[in-house]
Amino acid sequence: MSSNNILVVTLCFIILLTGNPAAKTLEPIDSLPLSENNKGYKAIELGKRLFFDRRLSGDGTMSCATCHIPDMAFTDGMEISLSYPTTKNWRNTPTVINSVLHRYFFWDGRAKTLEEQAPFPIMSSFEMNLNLDYLEEKIRQVPEYNRDFKDALNEEVSLKGIAKALAAFQKSLISRNAPLDRYLKGDTNALSEDAKKGMELFVGKAGCIKCHYGKALMDNKFHHLGVPERPEHIEDPQIAITRRFVAKIHGYKDYKLLKEDLGRYLITKDKKDWKAFKTPSLREVSKTAPYMHNGYYQSLEEVIDFFNRGGGEGNKALRPLNLTTTEKAYLKTFLIEALTGEELKITHPEIP
Amino acid sequence: MGVGPAIQKIMREYKGKVRLVIKHYPYKYRDFAFISSEAALAAHEQGKFWEMHELLLKRSPRLDRRSLEQYATEIGLDMQRFKEAMDKKKFAPLIEKDLKLAQSLDLYNTPTIFINGIKIVGNRPYDYYKRIIDEELRNVKQ
Repeated sequence: MSSNNILVVTLCFIILLTGNPAAKTLEPIDSLPLSENNKGYKAIELGKRLFFDRRLSGDGTMSCATCHIPDMAFTDGMEISLSYPTTKNWRNTPTVINSVLHRYFFWDGRAKTLEEQAPFPIMSSFEMNLNLDYLEEKIRQVPEYNRDFKDALNEEVSLKGIAKALAAFQKSLISRNAPLDRYLKGDTNALSEDAKKGMELFVGKAGCIKCHYGKALMDNKFHHLGVPERPEHIEDPQIAITRRFVAKIHGYKDYKLLKEDLGRYLITKDKKDWKAFKTPSLREVSKTAPYMHNGYYQSLEEVIDFFNRGGGEGNKALRPLNLTTTEKAYLKTFLIEALTGEELKITHPEIP
Repeated sequence: MGVGPAIQKIMREYKGKVRLVIKHYPYKYRDFAFISSEAALAAHEQGKFWEMHELLLKRSPRLDRRSLEQYATEIGLDMQRFKEAMDKKKFAPLIEKDLKLAQSLDLYNTPTIFINGIKIVGNRPYDYYKRIIDEELRNVKQ
């Protein structure tokens, strides 16, 4: 075997061992293909009106924007989401910013596209609680919407069209020009020295990058980290109704006895998904407290401490990180300073 | 019940420390929202806003004109004065003014509460408001 052949074999071996070296890097969000968003301007505007329209809830008190509040990075700032009157939700509101980068939606990933995602909260008994066929007729009754559907989507009012328009609006909500993006594109002054040290920890000792990478700083996967349940949530009778209801409609046999959120397992029934929840994007993380699927942690300090001690009971995904107090502070500075993009200026559209 | 109980608890717990200003934002797609606001203000004129407010929530969605008159009788309003205010739409301009204010502030949801300018959209539990009020009161002391 010639020395050249040995080199080729050695290189192949190294690539196989390390996988795709580009898979776990931080990427600037500007490299996102945006042509689709720009083309569908009218669909975005239609989707925006629907997003703010309280017709989308059963009693006309809630719109998507009730829980995805533009001023709060499209979250509601609650541990668990706001809910339909007389009911309680059981999970935290995720931001919809950068949702175009996600491959799964909801903490349990039950939808794979934004179009598929849209009807779930509308028809959910503890969210907007509106029958979807009724919604279609409600929207069809509004002349302006009939006109806009033809104009923007070239079709009549339909559930599919409603979902398409809502998805178009959400796809337009992109976090731009964060200091991290500028830094990755060569502006070395975009991050403070402390934030740079935090970034080193993020990709190194703290190991955050194992799950938080790419443009959205997420892996589009599900992990069981052992985030505790709040005792008051376990005992709350209205949350208990929601928990049993969700488990029941997903075909979980022991739904009547359920005292905890089984996460992705309820969808897949696969043991590896037991109490696993979707990795959230870390973009805009300084504005999306409280954190985790049940809003258990109020601050980034608490979240960093949780990861530093190796996560919660029963998890096999995390190990203690042994970060010092100073290192934890650097990491927090990076999360706050580097990942916050330009403010999205959203004004309330006129609802027909 | 909406946000009413939380607000009433705030007014009890923080007596003398907070001031409540109510603005009306009747939902245009609800048949009786506007006249219910008018009825609440007509009751306010006679010093019985909260009594009417409670009844409106309790008896909703039965909020047609005849029902509103019945509630006014129940809480002991001067009926002639109440009917006159309703007939002449005495408080409609005030409600229209509130609606314009809501529009200018880009509001889209009821309740929207402002605590010293901090906007809170949607119905929150008492503790949520309490955290903000305590923080604001601390700021005032400093």
